[in-house]
Amino acid sequence: MNKLVLAAAAAALAMFATGANAQAIRIATEGAYAPWNFLDEAGKPAGFEIDLGNEICKRAALECAFQVNEWDSIIPNLVAGNYDLIMAGMSITDERKQSIDFTANYFPPDPSHYMVRTGTKLDFDALSGKNIGVQGGTIQAGYAETTFGSTNTIKSFETADQALADLNAGNVDVVLADSSYISEIVAGSGGAIEVVGPEVMLGGGVGAGVRKADTELRDKVTGVIDAMKQDGSLDALIIKWFPDKAPGPIFAGG
Amino acid sequence: MELITAIANDLVILAKPALFNIYFAAASIPIGFVLAIFVALGKGSSSGLVSSLSRGFIYAFRGSPFFIQLFMFYSLALAFNLSLWKPLGIDWIVLNPLILGPAVLVLNTTAYTANILHGAMQNVPKGEIEAARAFGMNRLQLFRAVTWPNVIRIAWPAYTNEVVVLFHTTALVYFTLPVINDQKDLMNKAGELFEKDYNAFLHFPVAGLYFLGVSMIIFFVFGRVYRHLMRHLPQAPAIRFSPRWIRG
Amino acid sequence: MVDLLPQWLRDVLGQDVLFWLGYFTNGKHLSWYASVQYTLAAGAIGAAVALGLGVLSAAGRNSRFAGFRLLGKAYTNSLPGIPDVLFFLFFPLAFEQAVEWIRAQAVCTPAELALGRWPLCPDANLIFGSFEYLILAGVSLGIVYGAFAGNVISGAMNSVPRGQLEAARAYGMSPLQVLLRVHIRQMWAYALPGLSNIWMLLIKATSLLSLLQISDIVLWADRLGSPNFTRSAGLVHPDWRWGYYLVLLIFYILLTFLSEKLFTALQRWAGRGMATAGAS
Repeated sequence: MNKLVLAAAAAALAMFATGANAQAIRIATEGAYAPWNFLDEAGKPAGFEIDLGNEICKRAALECAFQVNEWDSIIPNLVAGNYDLIMAGMSITDERKQSIDFTANYFPPDPSHYMVRTGTKLDFDALSGKNIGVQGGTIQAGYAETTFGSTNTIKSFETADQALADLNAGNVDVVLADSSYISEIVAGSGGAIEVVGPEVMLGGGVGAGVRKADTELRDKVTGVIDAMKQDGSLDALIIKWFPDKAPGPIFAGG
Repeated sequence: MELITAIANDLVILAKPALFNIYFAAASIPIGFVLAIFVALGKGSSSGLVSSLSRGFIYAFRGSPFFIQLFMFYSLALAFNLSLWKPLGIDWIVLNPLILGPAVLVLNTTAYTANILHGAMQNVPKGEIEAARAFGMNRLQLFRAVTWPNVIRIAWPAYTNEVVVLFHTTALVYFTLPVINDQKDLMNKAGELFEKDYNAFLHFPVAGLYFLGVSMIIFFVFGRVYRHLMRHLPQAPAIRFSPRWIRG
Repeated sequence: MVDLLPQWLRDVLGQDVLFWLGYFTNGKHLSWYASVQYTLAAGAIGAAVALGLGVLSAAGRNSRFAGFRLLGKAYTNSLPGIPDVLFFLFFPLAFEQAVEWIRAQAVCTPAELALGRWPLCPDANLIFGSFEYLILAGVSLGIVYGAFAGNVISGAMNSVPRGQLEAARAYGMSPLQVLLRVHIRQMWAYALPGLSNIWMLLIKATSLLSLLQISDIVLWADRLGSPNFTRSAGLVHPDWRWGYYLVLLIFYILLTFLSEKLFTALQRWAGRGMATAGAS
């Protein structure tokens, strides 16, 4: 009996102790936003941000592990301490800065595009009665709500891929998302999906999210990102995953 | 005092979302009840095909989680959108969460209710049926005058539990279906409030209060109906609030 | 995985079959199949906790002390009034916050505590991964369905014929012997049908694990079935989700079927030598 109690106490202690281990960094990603982050054929997180995250950790001598977290609870779970860093194609915005902090951006401000099933004609100056698909809690969701919300229906999905599924099946007329996400889809859709209408500039680029109290981690990661911008390795990584950004330069020398 | 205002505040914010859960339940319960009568009769049918189809339907829906049924029917409905719903001009009905949600709830509650009704049909006193036959009643008369009144009395307590559980099940609808504009149900809204201030001990219990409150109202109303159904007895038995396991 | 097949079999199967065989055994699919363990683990933890709490609350309801009676009644009567998913989401969050709050009283500075902002301070922070959440998920399912089990078990305790207990006492058994050898021994025969129903509800509730960020069968089905048009992310395919969900549906129906068989056997075992419907 005593042994049992001891074992339980030891387990409880071990559970508390994990909170204090500072060198191991947990990075949350969504895993459903190719080519930014996705689950590869092996079932492991892969993509631009996974490559970048591993490189940052290598240079900063941190021990990193990626974990998958649904998009809509990704900020609350960072604040609650389930992980230390968010790398999930998250744009830097003033609204998000109220609850978390960001490192320097590792992807420049990127326009958002409208994608539709090929052949769909839309009048963006007087859009009404349309179904507009967005991923809930994104900058595009906020923009669509304020710009088109009064005369159109905004449908929010858990993941961008689900919005794409509904677009492809004709349940939404148009999806607003990052152009970096859309361009690969258009290329791979075999002509089924195309980009229409104006570009929309939203957000201040993509950065990694950290808890406000974690200034040390933020500065460390920002330092590495800045170094990677200078030596051109970040540009190379961006061009590897987003071929339409070639030939650059994107950050290098700037 | 601060706590009371916080609770009152949440109660006000969650009032509109609660209407969505109530709507989901109210839209699906009457339809499911009527369909269940046919499926229950089907299960007891002497035709082998009708009986096994009804049994299969009941088994499939009682044997699988509503959460997955909802996921599957949404993606299935989506797969037929361009080839079927669009040409027919009914895509805005079929894929509307306010229609599709209750539709899957209907299938679900039909299976559970049919099982309850079928069980009750088996327990109708044989003597009463024989007596009615001796009176020369035809099958329809027999069902209306003898079988059905017995069935509804036997099944009512279990059905009351089913209605409460169905109302609880509505909490899952908006976890799966895309949210349109700001149509949020209790769970969505409670989650949204939680993500703003991390006060789990306030928002979730208040949402729970709504579920508990509506459950109590259902028990009260259905209890009244039960007393009416049992008015021929000298002392009407009361429905016991609790065992949801009757549903299983 | 396909590489493991002998050459003659590969020739027989042909390129197309081999391709699909390879696709359905790639790492992503293997992760999906492997994630069944989370579903089963949550079910097993939930069942154990539910049974334990069921016995405790049934004992509480029949206790001599009014406090225990009240506690048992409050637990078994109030939890069935709210949806399982609500408690399922609430409990792990509440547990984590409660433990962090207690820790915070010890490790945070008074200034940080006075702010009252959540989280209270970095040192009080607990990092819960999937493993901890899986345990918490199982426990919260156990707490929800333990309330139902309490109802069933206390009803079953009352269903054991008084004559059996009196006969046992007449044989000179001590109160403890009567309880263990006769009362509880016979109780199972009356409780099993109800417990079987609770197990069926519990196993279906394990489909909710993905709501707690556990990579369970539902999350993988969604990720595998979602359309992919990005070539660098693997096979390009349209929306296949309904097929994956259909597999899950069949999986759960099979689980229900097997559980029914198991409980029928248990029922026969528990009812051996007794003159009840469950006896063979």
